[in-house]
Amino acid sequence: MKKKPSSRQISEFIWGWLFILPTMAGLIILNIYPMIDTIKQSFYKTGDFGKGNIFVGLANYRKVFGDAEVWQALANTIKYAIVEVPFSVVIALLLAVILNKKIKGRSFFRTVFFLPMVVAPAAVAMVWKWLYNSNFGLINNTFHIKVNWISDPNIAIYSIAVIGIWSVIGYNMVLFLAGLQEVPRDYYEAASLDGANGWQQLIHITVPLISPTIFFVIVTRVIAGMQVFDLIYMLIDLNNPAWKKTESLVYLFYKYSFQQSKKGYGATVIVVLLAFILILTVIQLIGQKKWVHYE
Amino acid sequence: MVKKLIALCLGVAMTASLVACGGTAATTAEPAADATAQETPAADDSAAADTAAAEEEAPTSIGSSVEGELSITIWDEGQRPGLQQIVDEWSAQSGVKATIQVVDWNDYWTLLEAGATGGELPDVFWMHSNVAQKYMENDMLLDLTDKIAASDKIDMNNYYEGIVKLYQSNGKQYAVPKDIDTIALWYNKTIFDEMGVPYPDDTWTWEDFKANAKKLTNDEHWGYAIAPGNNQEGYYNTIYSMGGYVISDDKKTSGMDDANSIKAVKLFTDMIAEGSCPDLATVSETAPNELLCAGKTAMSINGSWMLAGYRDNEYAAANCDVAVLPYTNTPDDRVSIYNGLGWAAAANGKNTDAAWSLIEYLGSKEAQLEQAELGVTMSAYKGTSDAWVNSVDCFDLNGHMKMLDAKLVFRPYSRDTTVWEDMMIEKLQDAWTGAKPVEDVCIDIATEMNAALAEE
Repeated sequence: MKKKPSSRQISEFIWGWLFILPTMAGLIILNIYPMIDTIKQSFYKTGDFGKGNIFVGLANYRKVFGDAEVWQALANTIKYAIVEVPFSVVIALLLAVILNKKIKGRSFFRTVFFLPMVVAPAAVAMVWKWLYNSNFGLINNTFHIKVNWISDPNIAIYSIAVIGIWSVIGYNMVLFLAGLQEVPRDYYEAASLDGANGWQQLIHITVPLISPTIFFVIVTRVIAGMQVFDLIYMLIDLNNPAWKKTESLVYLFYKYSFQQSKKGYGATVIVVLLAFILILTVIQLIGQKKWVHYE
Repeated sequence: MVKKLIALCLGVAMTASLVACGGTAATTAEPAADATAQETPAADDSAAADTAAAEEEAPTSIGSSVEGELSITIWDEGQRPGLQQIVDEWSAQSGVKATIQVVDWNDYWTLLEAGATGGELPDVFWMHSNVAQKYMENDMLLDLTDKIAASDKIDMNNYYEGIVKLYQSNGKQYAVPKDIDTIALWYNKTIFDEMGVPYPDDTWTWEDFKANAKKLTNDEHWGYAIAPGNNQEGYYNTIYSMGGYVISDDKKTSGMDDANSIKAVKLFTDMIAEGSCPDLATVSETAPNELLCAGKTAMSINGSWMLAGYRDNEYAAANCDVAVLPYTNTPDDRVSIYNGLGWAAAANGKNTDAAWSLIEYLGSKEAQLEQAELGVTMSAYKGTSDAWVNSVDCFDLNGHMKMLDAKLVFRPYSRDTTVWEDMMIEKLQDAWTGAKPVEDVCIDIATEMNAALAEE
């Protein structure tokens, strides 16, 4: 015979659900429902103002896989992520290790490195746009060089990635600093007695011990990197010669969905990106067993 | 202490990333803010609402909805102060408050479409040739036909015909013309003096333009700067002047592969190749009007809507002036690609009577004249452009006004203009950089444009 739940259990059940209700509601209304709707839309040729949608089955997907622009955008996005993620992680880790030591002006430097994260991406992009300007920009005029930082198709995407690295270092650094607080001092003392230098301590003690944090940062940065949009949107115009070589997948989605109001095809592009990010993340989750140490 | 700092930083970061999470959150928040803004005054004016309560039942006249407020949305910050002044005069007469909100060009269309889909359009807003057909066919705009027929202030014969026709669909009128624009040649007098070249006048041909641009070029500045992303302020004028066309009259086929169209684009690619016009990289990073204001180019082709920008720039006001565009063979083929905005109202607006009253006022001779006098833009009402010419002292705006006597060609459009227009801008890059011959690029554009038009 099943025991009847006590009044305390019932009350806990109700209150428990009540407490997660706001989060659940937000998640369902703002994330889950739009996601399902987007996937649904990718099977339609959408009409004007959301009226008169026609079901077209897999036609959008067939078109996406044959669309050279989509593949180019995917390549651009990957190029961006490949530069942005490793550099921002390594630089942030080194900074975190340095700023975890007792040095003068530690709080000052921590704040300075974190500042770019607080500034609105649009403002960041506008400032860098002038720094990079090939004729009147500070960079070219200081070093007396003539480089088309953001209008040369071969380097523009990397110039944008540099801004991405600059903006995100502070955020990664703060996460690493939090991870470093958990590393016991004893290990370093023991290692010093054994004659390990700073570099060896970093590789053999710090990195393995904060590997869960590193893993978390890499996974979230890869996802964010694949979704790059605002910097490119602000820096590159339709008439920029580097346009085709910098357009990211999310930009392509924005172009189709909102500028040309082909919502169905735009949805298909973004579902492809979703699938790609899912695959990348699964690979990383499998790969973590080799190098991430949970205590 | 350290942990507190980290916690604080994390908190800030999370807020920042939440905001950065983007479009969805921002757009959903906006209608909510609007709703509260509308509700609050209603609550405050409960006394006033009581008196008006009797009339509220049947909103047949404007007076019955006095406590409401109209929202107006436009995309040009330069025009806002002048327009708000005109709107305020209407408010003084009607007793209805109306505020202008400015959203920049790109976001304007994104927001307007989202608003139309969700049934939350602004009460009164600007309409444009690129998308007018789509909005009219889907009954998003308030049908003004009967209201215009009944009005003693508005007569469609008083406005330039092309703009009136643009906002017609199935014999109905959906917007009242707001303005007209012409394209003219802005130039830097100081550079012309320095290089000993006579100022441009109505005798210039496009060949003279090209030859003089070369003479005006040295290490310090270029002769002319093209705006590769703005067809109306560039190659569309030469295409029609040289006898080519962009789109056929029935809007079914592209004219970009026409020999004359190709010749017209070549005029500019030749200038880039000669070095008298900056390369694509330069103009894509710094717009031609910025180059003109910085004394970096002697000439720039611009629309009359740029007036406010040049007037408010000290350097341009002191050094620049404006002349008519050149012609090809005879002065008869001097072409200005023109466009005109229309004032439209939401079909499902809460206060369509007030919205119509405002549009009627904005389209009246009085308000159209004031718009010109304030130097906001040239007005769509015929015979008011003299007032616009006299609105500033620093430039001789006859350059723009005389273009009204040139061959006026309406800016090419179709039902989904943006689709092929963006494609064209993208593909023309290869022509500007010289990566591909102009012929190949134009033929390629025509093929894709025909496909896009077939899909409409």
